[in-house]
Amino acid sequence: MTASALTRPGERDRLSTKITELDWRLVALLCVVAFTGTAMLYSIAGGEWQPWAMDHLTRFGAMLVVMLGLAMLHPKWWFRAAYPLYAVLLLLVLMIEFTPLGYVAGGARNWLNLGFIRIQPAEFMKLGLVLALARWYHNQTAQEARWSWKLIIPVAMIGVPFLLVAKQPDLGSAMIIGLTGAAVMFVAGLSWKVIAAGGIAAVVTIPPFVMFGMHDYQRNRVLTFLSPESDPTGTGYNIIQSKIALGSGGVLGRGYGLGSQSQLEFLPERQTDFIFSTVAEEFGFVGSFGLLACYVAIILISLRIASTAHSHFARVSAAGMTAFFALFVLINGAMVMGLAPVVGVPMPLLSYGGSSMMTVMLGFALVLSTRVHRYAELPKGYGLI
Amino acid sequence: MSEPSIFFSDVNERQGSFLRRTFVVGGLTALGVTALTVRLAQLQVVQAQEYATLASQNQFNFRLVPPPRGRILDRNGVVIAGNRPSFRVLVVRDETKDLDQTLDLLGQLLPDTVDRRRAIIRDVNAAPRFAPVPVKSDLTWEEFAKVNIYANELPGVMADMNEARFYPYGGSFAHVIGYVAKVSDRDIAAVRDRGEEVPQLLYNPGFRIGRSGVERALDEDLRGVEGGNRVEVDARGRVVAEDVGGSRPATPGKDVVLTLDADIQNRALEVFGEEAGSCVVMDVRNGDILAMVSAPSFDPNLFVSGVPGPIYRAWADYERRPLTDKAINGVFAPGSTFKPVTGLAALIRGANPDRRIHCGGAFYLGRRFACHATHGSQDMREAIKNSCNVYFMTLAVEVGPDAIADVARTMGFGQTFDLGIGNQNAGLVPDREWRRQNPVRGDGRWYPGETPSYGIGQGALTVNALQLAVYTSRLANGRKAVQPRLIKSIGGEEQSVPGGDRDLPYSPEMLAVLRDGMNRVTDVGGTGFRNSQLGLGAVRMAGKTGTAQTRNYGSGARRSNVWSQKDHNLFIAYAPIDNPRYAVSVIVQHGGLGGGTAGAPRAREVMRVALLKDPEIRQRIEQSGFAETEDPGSHEANALGAAEPAQVDARPAPAASTGPRPYLSEPPE
Repeated sequence: MTASALTRPGERDRLSTKITELDWRLVALLCVVAFTGTAMLYSIAGGEWQPWAMDHLTRFGAMLVVMLGLAMLHPKWWFRAAYPLYAVLLLLVLMIEFTPLGYVAGGARNWLNLGFIRIQPAEFMKLGLVLALARWYHNQTAQEARWSWKLIIPVAMIGVPFLLVAKQPDLGSAMIIGLTGAAVMFVAGLSWKVIAAGGIAAVVTIPPFVMFGMHDYQRNRVLTFLSPESDPTGTGYNIIQSKIALGSGGVLGRGYGLGSQSQLEFLPERQTDFIFSTVAEEFGFVGSFGLLACYVAIILISLRIASTAHSHFARVSAAGMTAFFALFVLINGAMVMGLAPVVGVPMPLLSYGGSSMMTVMLGFALVLSTRVHRYAELPKGYGLI
Repeated sequence: MSEPSIFFSDVNERQGSFLRRTFVVGGLTALGVTALTVRLAQLQVVQAQEYATLASQNQFNFRLVPPPRGRILDRNGVVIAGNRPSFRVLVVRDETKDLDQTLDLLGQLLPDTVDRRRAIIRDVNAAPRFAPVPVKSDLTWEEFAKVNIYANELPGVMADMNEARFYPYGGSFAHVIGYVAKVSDRDIAAVRDRGEEVPQLLYNPGFRIGRSGVERALDEDLRGVEGGNRVEVDARGRVVAEDVGGSRPATPGKDVVLTLDADIQNRALEVFGEEAGSCVVMDVRNGDILAMVSAPSFDPNLFVSGVPGPIYRAWADYERRPLTDKAINGVFAPGSTFKPVTGLAALIRGANPDRRIHCGGAFYLGRRFACHATHGSQDMREAIKNSCNVYFMTLAVEVGPDAIADVARTMGFGQTFDLGIGNQNAGLVPDREWRRQNPVRGDGRWYPGETPSYGIGQGALTVNALQLAVYTSRLANGRKAVQPRLIKSIGGEEQSVPGGDRDLPYSPEMLAVLRDGMNRVTDVGGTGFRNSQLGLGAVRMAGKTGTAQTRNYGSGARRSNVWSQKDHNLFIAYAPIDNPRYAVSVIVQHGGLGGGTAGAPRAREVMRVALLKDPEIRQRIEQSGFAETEDPGSHEANALGAAEPAQVDARPAPAASTGPRPYLSEPPE
C-alpha cells in the first residue's frame, strides 16, 4: 500500500507502509556503487579480500542496516537532534585542537582518539552542519533567508567549523564544509545579488590566500595542479599517474584485475582518493561513465525526494545532504582527471575509509527518511528546547 | 498537528524559491558531470593511445644484459684474453632484517668486509631498498661456497656470478693486447666529444673498456651488443616478472685472432729475465708478427678490477719502464744492425761489393772516427761479418745521407705500420731536408761530419724493434716489401694489410750480397758466432749485431756498470740461412757489451722455438740427424734447449704471475 496525500490517518505511521515508502531505486544504486568499490578494492589488493575489500563491504553492510533503520525515524527527531549534534561535533573538533586526544595523520591534525574509537569529527561535522542550518532556516521567512542581518547566524555556523578544520589543516574537508554550507544557504533562497557579490569576493581573495595563507604542501598542490608536468616525480606525480591510469583504460578498459597502474602501485592512494582511476583503468570509458551515471542518478533522485518534502527543514536538509554528496563526487572526479588540485576528498562509497562511508550513509538515511515522511509537517518553532 | 504559523504566501514563496534553487542545483550537478564526462572521453577515447604508451613505459623496463666480451686468440686458437667467472656477494636492504646484524655475520665469513663496513653501509643505504648492492667481488671459490652455505642465516645476502676479463698469460701479451679497465668520466667525455651518443652499456657497473693495445683498438668489435631483458616492474622498481616477452639476447663480442704465437711470445718475454728491452719475431714470407714483447712487463689482470695505488706507482717509477711498449713505442739507435742499409745504398749506386777498403782502426773526416778493431783490407761481405765501422763510414760519405735515408725508409724505418693498434713511434730517419728543419747550428746545413756516424747507425737515427724486424724480413726474403700483420681475423673475417705484396725496388742479387755477409756474422770468426749457434743441425741462423751508444764517449770512462749508462745491445737475425722463414729483432736496453753478448743469445732462443714449431723445418732438422744435438759452444743452450721440444708440444700452463723470470746469462768466456 503506497502512501499518498489521501492515505488514511495512521496508515503512514505503520512500519510496513514506511518500508514500502523507501526509495528502493536509491538503495539499489547505493549498493551498486558500494559493491563496485568492494570489487575494485579486491582487485587492487591483488585478488585478496584483505586488507580493504572485506572491511569496505562489512562497513557498508552495517551502515546499510543503520541507514534503513534511521530512515524510519520521523523528521522531528532529526530536527530535535540538529542543534545538540552540531554542538557536540563542534566540541569534538575543538577537542582535536585543544586536547591531547587529537593526533596527526597524513600531515593534518584531524583525528580524534576517544579511546574506544578513532574518528575524524570533520567528516560528521558536515552532517551536523546541514541539519543545524536546515533547522535554523526552518523558522525563517523567505525574506529573511534571502538577505537580512540574521544571516550572520548561518554564516557563523559555517564559518566556525570551517576555520577550525582549515587550521588542522585539512583543506579538503574545510572546503567541503564551506561549500556544503553555501549550498544550503543557496537552496534556502539566498539572494542572487549576494551570491554574485560572494563569487566576485572569492575570485579576488583566493589567489592571495593561495600565495600567503596556505601551508607549503597545500600551495604546492595548487601550483602542481596548475602545471603537473613541472614536477613529475614530486607533487605532480599523483596527477600524472592518475591521468595515465585513466587514459590507458581506453574505451573498454584493460580488464578486471589487469590495470598495471593500480596493480603495480604507480597510482598513489589508489584505495582511497584515486580509486575512481582504478575503475576507469580496468573498465575503461564505459565503466567510468556508467559509474558517473550512477552517481548522477543518486543525486537527481535525492534532489527529487528533497523537493517533495512538506516541511522546510526536511527539504533543506535533504537537499543539503545531496549537495554535500554531489560536491564529493564532482571534486573527487575533477581531481583524478586533473581538473582540480589534489585535495584529500574521497569518492563517496567507492573509496576505502570508515568516516566518509558513515557520513555518506547517515546522509542518505536522512534523505530516505525525508522520502518516507515527506508528508510530515514540522510547525515553526517546533522542538526549540 | 499544530497550526501552521507562517502565512501561506510566505510558505509558498519559500517553497517556490526552494524548488527553483533545487532545480539549479540539479542543473549544476548535471553540468559538472557532463564536464567530467567530456574530460573522460578526452582522456580515454581521444588520447587513449598516448596514455597507454605511458602506462607501458611505467610497467615495463629493459634491464641491460651485458654481452660477453670477445676473446683474443693466438694464431693457433690459444686464448690469450678470455673471460672468467667472477663471484660476487650482494646485499639487498629490503630483505635484510637488520643490516648491522647481517654485516656482522658476513664479516665473519669475509673478514675484509669489516674494514670497508662504513663504505658498504653507505652504498647500501644510497641504493633503492630492493636493489642488490655488490659488497665484494672476485670471491674465491671457498668464500663463495661459504656464503652459499650460510645463505639461510643471511637473509638479504646473495652470491652470484658474472664475467671478468682474464689474461691467462699475464705479462707476456700485456703490451700487445693491452688491458681493459673501468669506464672513466674521460671515456664518456671522449665519446661525447666525437658527437656520438654514449651507449648505455658504458654505464653498466660490470662493463670494462679497452684501455690499450688490441683491447683498445678493437674495443668496439670485442665489446658486442648489449641485450635487454624486458621486465615488469612496480612503482618502486621492484621486478614483478622477468623476461615478459620482447627481450633481446646479448650479442657476444667478436673473437679476434692475432698472428702471434703464444709459445714464441712467452719464450720471448722469458729470455729477457730482468733485463729491459723488446723482441719482435716475424714470418719473412708474409709479415705475420709471431711475437712482439716488451720487457719487463706487468700483469694486465690487475687493471680489470683496478690497480692498487702502490703497485701502479712502483710500475710507473721503475726505471726500466714496464708500462712502456718498447717494441713499437721505444726507439733506439740501431747501431751496426743498420750497416746493411748503408751497404745497400752503395750497391744500388753501382758500388762493387768486391771492392776492398782498408781498415786501419779509424776513419778520418775532420776528426777521428774509431773502429773497434783494425780489420785491414776487406770487401763488403767481410765488413758485415766484422762489423767494420771504417768500411761503412767510407761508403756513407760516398753516397751521402739522402741516399741512405731513402733506402732506410724503403726497408721499413722512419714509419709506422698499419698494425691495427696505435701507440707506435716512427723513430727518425734523418736526411738533409730534416736537418734543414731541425738545425743544430743556425744554418740547418748537413755537416759532412754527421755522415760517418749515420752510416753505422748512430747519430739522430732512431728505430724500434718492429721496424728492425720488418727490415730483417725484407732483407731475408730478398724480394718482397712485406708489411707486418698483427690482426689475423676479426669475428672470423680474415684481415689483410694493404700493400703487403709489393716488391722491393732492389735487385735480389744485391740483397743476396748483404745476406751473405750476415751469414758470415754467425759463422766462424763472425761477431755473433759464439752466441748464434742454434744447435739444430743443418738449420742455421744468420744475423747482425749492433751496439748503440747511449752517451758520448769523447772523454772520461768508456764503460760503466751503472745500468742506465750502459750501451743498448741489438741483434737482428733470420733463419734458416738457405731459405729464410723467420726474422727476429732483439733490443736489450743498456744490455752492456757488443751485440753478440746480450742480443744474440736471446734471439737464438726465441728463434729456436719458432723453428721447432714449424713442422717443415722440424722435419728437416730431424732428417739432418741433428735433432736434439747440443751446441758445443754453450752450456746454456744445453739447459734451455733440452726443455724446448716438450714445451713446444704441450703448451705451457698459463703463467701465474709476471715477475721476472730467471734467465741464465751467458757464461763468461
